[in-house]
Amino acid sequence: MSAVTARATAFQQPSVEKISRVRQLWDALRRKPLGAVSAALIVAIVFTALFAGVLAPFDPLATRPEIRLAAPSWEHPFGTDDIGRDVFSRIIYGARISLWVGLLAVGIGTAAGMVIGLVCGYCEGRVDMILQRIMDAVQAIPALVLALAIVSVLRPNTTNAMIAIAMVIIPGNSRIVRGAVLSAKQNHYVEAAQAIGCRHPRIILGHILPNVTAPILIIASIWLGNAILIEATLSFLGVGTQPPTPSWGLMLSSTGRAFMEQAPWLAIFPGLAISLAVLAFNLFGDTLRDAWDPRLRNTR
Amino acid sequence: MRTDDAGRAASPRMNRRDFVRTTAVGLGAAAAVGASPRRARAATPYPDWIPRSDKPAKSGSSMTRASSWDPPLIDPRLTQSIGLFQFATLTSNRLVRYVFSDEASGPSDLTLKGDLAESWQASPDHRVWTFKLRQGVKWHNVAPVNGREFVAADVKYCFEQYAKEGVQSFNFQEIEAIETPDKYTVRLHLNSPNVLLAQNLAEPIALLFAREVLEQDGDLKKRLVGTGPYMLKEHTRKVRVVLARHPDYFDKGRPYLDQYTILSTPDAATRLAAFRTGQSDILWVASPSEVETVRKSNPSALVQSYHNTLAPFGLALAQDRAPFSDVRVRRAISMAIDRQKMVDTVFEGHGIPGWGVPYIYYADKQPTLAQLGPWFQYRPAEAKKLLAEAGHPNGFSTTLFYYEYFPQMTSEVQLVQQDLKKNLNIDVKITKLDYTTYYGRYVESKWDGMCWGFQSGHGIGLDERTYQFLHSKSPKNFFRVNDPVVDDLCVKLRQTPDPAQQRALTKKLVEREFDQAYRLWMPYDNGFLVFQPHVRNVAAMALRRSDGYGASTLARTWFDK
Amino acid sequence: MRRYVLRRLLLAIPVLLLASVIVFGLMRVMPGDALITLMGESGNIGERELAHVRQQLHLDLPYYQQYAIWLWQLVSLRPGDSIFTGEPITTSLAKSIPVTVELTVLALVLGLVIAIPIGVISATRQDTASDYVGRVVAVSGLSLPDFWLATLVITFAALWFHWIPPIGYTSFWESPLRNLQQFVLPAAVLGFRLSAATMRMTRSTVLEVLREDYVRTAWAKGLGGRIVVYKHALKNALIPVVTIVGGQLGVLLAGAVVVESIFALPGMGRLTVEAILYRDYPVVQTNVMLVATTLVTLNLMVDLSYAWLDPRIRYR
Repeated sequence: MSAVTARATAFQQPSVEKISRVRQLWDALRRKPLGAVSAALIVAIVFTALFAGVLAPFDPLATRPEIRLAAPSWEHPFGTDDIGRDVFSRIIYGARISLWVGLLAVGIGTAAGMVIGLVCGYCEGRVDMILQRIMDAVQAIPALVLALAIVSVLRPNTTNAMIAIAMVIIPGNSRIVRGAVLSAKQNHYVEAAQAIGCRHPRIILGHILPNVTAPILIIASIWLGNAILIEATLSFLGVGTQPPTPSWGLMLSSTGRAFMEQAPWLAIFPGLAISLAVLAFNLFGDTLRDAWDPRLRNTR
Repeated sequence: MRTDDAGRAASPRMNRRDFVRTTAVGLGAAAAVGASPRRARAATPYPDWIPRSDKPAKSGSSMTRASSWDPPLIDPRLTQSIGLFQFATLTSNRLVRYVFSDEASGPSDLTLKGDLAESWQASPDHRVWTFKLRQGVKWHNVAPVNGREFVAADVKYCFEQYAKEGVQSFNFQEIEAIETPDKYTVRLHLNSPNVLLAQNLAEPIALLFAREVLEQDGDLKKRLVGTGPYMLKEHTRKVRVVLARHPDYFDKGRPYLDQYTILSTPDAATRLAAFRTGQSDILWVASPSEVETVRKSNPSALVQSYHNTLAPFGLALAQDRAPFSDVRVRRAISMAIDRQKMVDTVFEGHGIPGWGVPYIYYADKQPTLAQLGPWFQYRPAEAKKLLAEAGHPNGFSTTLFYYEYFPQMTSEVQLVQQDLKKNLNIDVKITKLDYTTYYGRYVESKWDGMCWGFQSGHGIGLDERTYQFLHSKSPKNFFRVNDPVVDDLCVKLRQTPDPAQQRALTKKLVEREFDQAYRLWMPYDNGFLVFQPHVRNVAAMALRRSDGYGASTLARTWFDK
Repeated sequence: MRRYVLRRLLLAIPVLLLASVIVFGLMRVMPGDALITLMGESGNIGERELAHVRQQLHLDLPYYQQYAIWLWQLVSLRPGDSIFTGEPITTSLAKSIPVTVELTVLALVLGLVIAIPIGVISATRQDTASDYVGRVVAVSGLSLPDFWLATLVITFAALWFHWIPPIGYTSFWESPLRNLQQFVLPAAVLGFRLSAATMRMTRSTVLEVLREDYVRTAWAKGLGGRIVVYKHALKNALIPVVTIVGGQLGVLLAGAVVVESIFALPGMGRLTVEAILYRDYPVVQTNVMLVATTLVTLNLMVDLSYAWLDPRIRYR
């Protein structure tokens, strides 16, 4: 915990340099090929998700059981699944589901974590202590157990799986934000702002928030990948996405495993899709950190 | 007076009729295999029966099986879970039993034989049943029974306990009094006539347990003591169950195997791997293509094509309320689902379109789809017309919840969803639940919409498959069938001793069920049992799979090695 | 220092209490009932019997009373019996904890043994081919769902090597060889994921440390490269690694339910997840509290060690 807080201390950037953040990222991308590749992959995934309707040759839900378990061919480049649906189309639409899972889970988790972290860090005192203890308590419960319990309480479907994952993300995020806020508060300009009578929201938004965005985005990009993996595990346990939704996790954990030897393409393509997506998000997170973490900047 | 013929030395070999049938199946399969791999295969090259071995049985060796079921409890009063009965049927006996695989003439042989009863007789009105018990049967030589003799008082105690509380109480409540005129005679007085009582007592779950255990422990959860061919040597939850040979078993010379170990293996891929590496002697797979993959790595494995005589799963509709209370809606839904296509595709031709009562009770041959009546045929145009007649020309929305017992079920559920949408514009929202939520919701019988429902897993007897599941007063009537005609037929069945008349009545009952579309049975696999090459006398019979509820037949199994 | 320790200890108690409330609340809100599952595809436990069992388990009392009773049972170390199996929870824990501990320890050892050297090599040969390969391999460990990896391992072990671990847990004391045979594959699968995260952290912190002044001084003094790396850089780089391990420990302890299911090991993961799926309240609540207490304790120890190492942190 403390190491991460110590890291966050390093982000002492005045908000004036916000423009150069993007610049930093661009430089990093140019210098590091792995980073550029990961960025390109992410763009590809987003593009696929947005234009799934145009890109997919077949309706992902249209069943044609006569051609079930067909090997990859010109007509069906990724083959067909156990009830004759086109795997290629399902993978394309699956990008939408995966992004949706990731973005919603990480979005809620990040937003809520940020709010809590900001409140904790800025207010300190008793509010901070109580909220932090609640966060500790939630974090003490193992992530999968927590997610499973939450999904079982709400009904099992994709949205609730995302809410469950968000709950898992919140404590860690809040702690990072809190650390960043605490260190930002030590800045002279914050003291100065308070001295000249700036109101709290302005201080938060104007001076503290910019320092917080960097660590948040880095963590978020890595959690995007994790969210996809947790959703896949929940589907494996039977409480994740509902059929017939074409989520990569459901495809891999149910039909992929069940027909592994008769129709390996049912597992290979969703597996590859998941791996590439998680890989891309993780590597991109690395690149963000390379770009924005000043302690590492000199090492490049 | 029916006598036990277990004393007879040799059972008949597969007779000529069976041989011809098997060869015909084989030839048909060979012809079908030449067809395009995508087209459904009508028959497979695997036999549906593995007859008993002619060689003399060898004693010794240990059998192992990787099982997906772990027993929640070992108290037979509190659960009917297959996890318990996959081995409890070997530690304990019943009064009566069905034939074992080395005595049977084929998989559909449902002859009753005495287990702990040597003979039995019913009074003319079938309200009083007298059972003469075997003499010299010993309980297992462990505390607290310490190998004492099994007597009539034990039967009386068990049946009274079953009737008092637990999941079997409904079955035993028809017994109003039990007499034990001497040490080896039990007389049951029923409150109403039931010609099928012996079948009920032959169900795998009607086990006889040791009274001392219940009296000392207060329950049967800690010790499982019986008179059966095997003793429970070890039960480590979620790990294994180990059964050791009972040296004083009444069937002298048996069991042949020294030990039977059941390994708790929740994952299907692992069970397959266990069979491949010889850690498991029996494997069940659902489809022909799976058998092929196993045979690629284990070419000398023995395969039995298992023919189901009923479908355990079907579409249950909340038919005590609208819109499903209207028979036209039910019939329309049934006609809008292409069952044959599911059999051809999901089950690769190796499946049945689905019906509820085992066909062997009213027919000689397995029914074809055409014989299931007009409402089970795929006629989407008619279905749409009928639904419009019933007041739903534009369809409606409903829900369907299920639990994925096996992957093909999910395929079927999605195909049904597509069929109903395409043909009737009925929007089905699928919810895949975990086991507890599904099971609890289903048996509570308060759910709305549709459900992928089941009937009993263990039921072999006719009474179980009719009265227990169709009678409006039965607590197991999860399909919510409420029809005085059905009730009447079920009760009449219990009072009809003549076998030919029984068949006719059963047929009438089944026809009524199909006519009213009470239970929309769905296609089910004809799976395969795969055995290691050295296993003998292990064939599975109708309604009694040797790896499941039919495990008692493993008392006759031996290893040729 | 002592005040810091005391303060952290005192703060741990409300954390655990809050965790217990959360777990209790979640379990009670879940639909379904463990008692129903006992029936096993049959039907009828009568209403009377159900009511009787519910009363025995205090399920008819108001929630706050149930909570108080449970908390008292927990604190006095008598957590009661499982609803589903009737087995005392202490017994099932006593059987599953050794499995999970062994799996965790082996996974950690395997993971770290792979990760740290690769991380160091990656860092010292930054931006070369071996760096890229190492990073991609590491990230692929993080990006494959573990049920998929485990399935592949068990299937291809059987197909290619005609060998899979003997099914059916045997404790180390009964038969060390069989036990290790059973654990090596699942520990490797778990360790692979752990090593991925650890390798990246090792790499980045070694990179940082290698640029520090004191390292440059050591080089300037003429000390050999490897000595510098291992003696100075690695020691400091290990601190964040400990953080990662601490984080992963939560995952491992909770359960590697997926790996345990596929390799048929009766560990805490399977016990807890199956109990959740069966709504076996006492088992879930007790198990989660046990893991939570362990995690909180471990975190406390880690924090205390940081405070000892870095005085600035004490005054936060």
